[in-house]
Amino acid sequence: MKKRILGVLLCMSLTAAMLAGCGSKKEESQGEAPAAGNEAAEDEQGGDDAQAEQASSESDMEYVKGKGTLVVGITDFEPMDYKDADGNWIGFDADMAKAFAKSLGVEAEFVEIDWDNKVMELDGKTIDCVWNGMTLTPEVTSAMECSKAYCNNAQVVIVPADQADQYQDKESLGDLSFAVEAGSAGEAEVQALGADFTPVKAQSDALLEVKSGTSDAAVIDSLMAAAMVGEGTGYADLTYTVQLNSEEYGVGFRKGSDLAAALNDFFAASYEDGTMVQCAETYGVQAALIEQ
Amino acid sequence: MAILEVEGLGKTFGSTEVLKDISFSLEKGEAVSIIGSSGSGKTTFLRCLNFLERPDKGIIRVAGETLFDAADPATVKEAVIRRKRLHFGLVFQSFNLFPQYTALGNVMLAKELLAKEQKDYKARRQEIHREIEEEAKELLAQMGLSDRMGNYPHQLSGGQCQRVAIARALALKPDILCFDEPTSALDPELTGEVLRVIRELADQNMTMIIVTHEMAFARDVASQVIFMDEGVIVEQGTPEQVFEHSREERTRQFLSRFTQG
Amino acid sequence: MEQILEQLPIVIPALNAGFLQTLKLFVVTLLGAVPLGLVIAFGSMSRFRPLSYFTKIVVWIVRGTPLMIQLLIIFYFPGLVWGHQLWGGGEAGRFLASAVAFIFNYACYFSEIYRGGIRSVPVGQEEAGLVLGMTRSQIFFKVTLLQMIKRIVPPMSNEIITLVKDTSLARIIALQEIIWAGQAFLKGSQGISGQIWPLFFTAVYYLLFSGILTVLLGRLEEKLDYFR
Repeated sequence: MKKRILGVLLCMSLTAAMLAGCGSKKEESQGEAPAAGNEAAEDEQGGDDAQAEQASSESDMEYVKGKGTLVVGITDFEPMDYKDADGNWIGFDADMAKAFAKSLGVEAEFVEIDWDNKVMELDGKTIDCVWNGMTLTPEVTSAMECSKAYCNNAQVVIVPADQADQYQDKESLGDLSFAVEAGSAGEAEVQALGADFTPVKAQSDALLEVKSGTSDAAVIDSLMAAAMVGEGTGYADLTYTVQLNSEEYGVGFRKGSDLAAALNDFFAASYEDGTMVQCAETYGVQAALIEQ
Repeated sequence: MAILEVEGLGKTFGSTEVLKDISFSLEKGEAVSIIGSSGSGKTTFLRCLNFLERPDKGIIRVAGETLFDAADPATVKEAVIRRKRLHFGLVFQSFNLFPQYTALGNVMLAKELLAKEQKDYKARRQEIHREIEEEAKELLAQMGLSDRMGNYPHQLSGGQCQRVAIARALALKPDILCFDEPTSALDPELTGEVLRVIRELADQNMTMIIVTHEMAFARDVASQVIFMDEGVIVEQGTPEQVFEHSREERTRQFLSRFTQG
Repeated sequence: MEQILEQLPIVIPALNAGFLQTLKLFVVTLLGAVPLGLVIAFGSMSRFRPLSYFTKIVVWIVRGTPLMIQLLIIFYFPGLVWGHQLWGGGEAGRFLASAVAFIFNYACYFSEIYRGGIRSVPVGQEEAGLVLGMTRSQIFFKVTLLQMIKRIVPPMSNEIITLVKDTSLARIIALQEIIWAGQAFLKGSQGISGQIWPLFFTAVYYLLFSGILTVLLGRLEEKLDYFR
């Protein structure tokens, strides 16, 4: 008897939960229909038709201002986003993100994410932007609303320091086995070279492959290489040689977000008054900075 | 007046009719033995009396009160049945003692749970507990288990376990105590101690229904013997009538297997 | 070696912080899944057919899909499909989503263990209780439960040890548990980069913790040895 009562209770609560779920979904889609039209009309600088697809009835800027925080998705990536001795997030990107949030009148909240899930994090609204030395590839620009480029970067080849003199041009690289981050710009470059390569999960894993000798060479971002490889780093016995391409960093927002345009204005203003250059100098990336 | 009256009891499992139109009555203080080959429906009959099986047909009356009537849905609800079960006690072939309780704990458990339903339980908690414990100890002493009260079932022999089980059933003071082949799971040398206890209960005029394969015991302990076969009561009478002057051929055949073997 | 000793004061506090998350997720999962598993077990054993079928299908789905996918769905699905995310910001939100996914997943596994445990208690125990006028819930709590617990301690120990290690899956939604903390020094964090030893060192935490659990669960098993 008791069993049956428990059973019925369980069934009822599950059904209730499911109905509640459906209910809220329905309400929202009803409320959304007229609002979506307004939004497309009033938000033309936002760009394209993707605006209409946005689930919320308010603009992204209003959404962020409404909750009072700009949630910035990052990874631990020196010199762009990393922790100081007190555990606070600093770096060129982190400091700029804080300044941008302040200009909007909200708090910047940094959340470490799994880099593979960045688009899902944005669309699922668990973060509001990806601001982490992100290379503007066609995949990135098609999946996110991106700011203008603010930093130059390149893909560089990492080899053990004692063999560096053998690999100073593209032609010498053909016989090496590479480690590259899966889906990265580096992977595309190695494919273009026609060299043998192993995709790994992160750029740092690619460095580890070279250090442990399981791969001959790696291809990673030059900004990262400058900070992580060579004298006085964890990879003192590695160095970087050939530059394979050049590329640019940008900040990613949800598709159709009006925050990208706002950030472009903010970048222009802070480049003008010198604060952006000053910030870049603090973290040694001023040479790579792009004029806004 | 008869303490127990059974009228037209029937039970079917699937397409097998296990009990067919069983009627019988029992006087207070009387012991009845039920004999018969395996599959004759003896055990099912006991299980029906204890509401472990729900009869499809028939009426069960105790001291004039109708406990169960297959035709009256009000009497077959589980919540109603629970209290009615207390008119009967059942001693299982395989003891079914609760392994996590001591001998004493086994005897006390159900009584204590019932006591919680009393209105004055909270106020008299300790007193009630002491009463129940005293009674349980007395019962175990009566079973010759004074020195075994603190033992767990796995520390007891089969005969001792069965005696604890009898004490457990007696603790609730049932009107009628049923035994379902109480010695069948025991080694032959251990049956004596259990049969002796049952005989003592008979001497104290406990109303009992005993399903057993021990023919000598069945004859000796009971004032009435029932022979069942294929779900019907074939023959019923005093031990002398059934064992010495069987009217039915089937009874004689069944008994001859025991006297020869 | 010298380098490791130098890095130790930075690495250990970071690993401790990660392990605290691991431990929190472990404890919360157990506290939630142990009772919820019992409810699910009753659901799947219910004589009310639609409920038992429904429960069995849910258990099948949860046990038949990887926990990693469940984590991703539970965390991202509300925001992606309903347009507003349920879990709140920051690490607290990620922890909440992880806890929900883990509790539900483990409750389903536990429910099957419970079901086996309840079924393995001889039917005679219930019958003895019924004949003694006990209610079904009295029979369950006073008779069946402890016998069931005794029978399920070994398989539950197995699941619990597995849970210790499974908590590391939560890093797929960026819950910063101990493996995440260890990996950080590989990618570069707090001035240390390219160091794999912190990641390897996390194994010591897991070993110690599962060792303690093994001892505790062994004690419980011994404690229940007083009856058979």
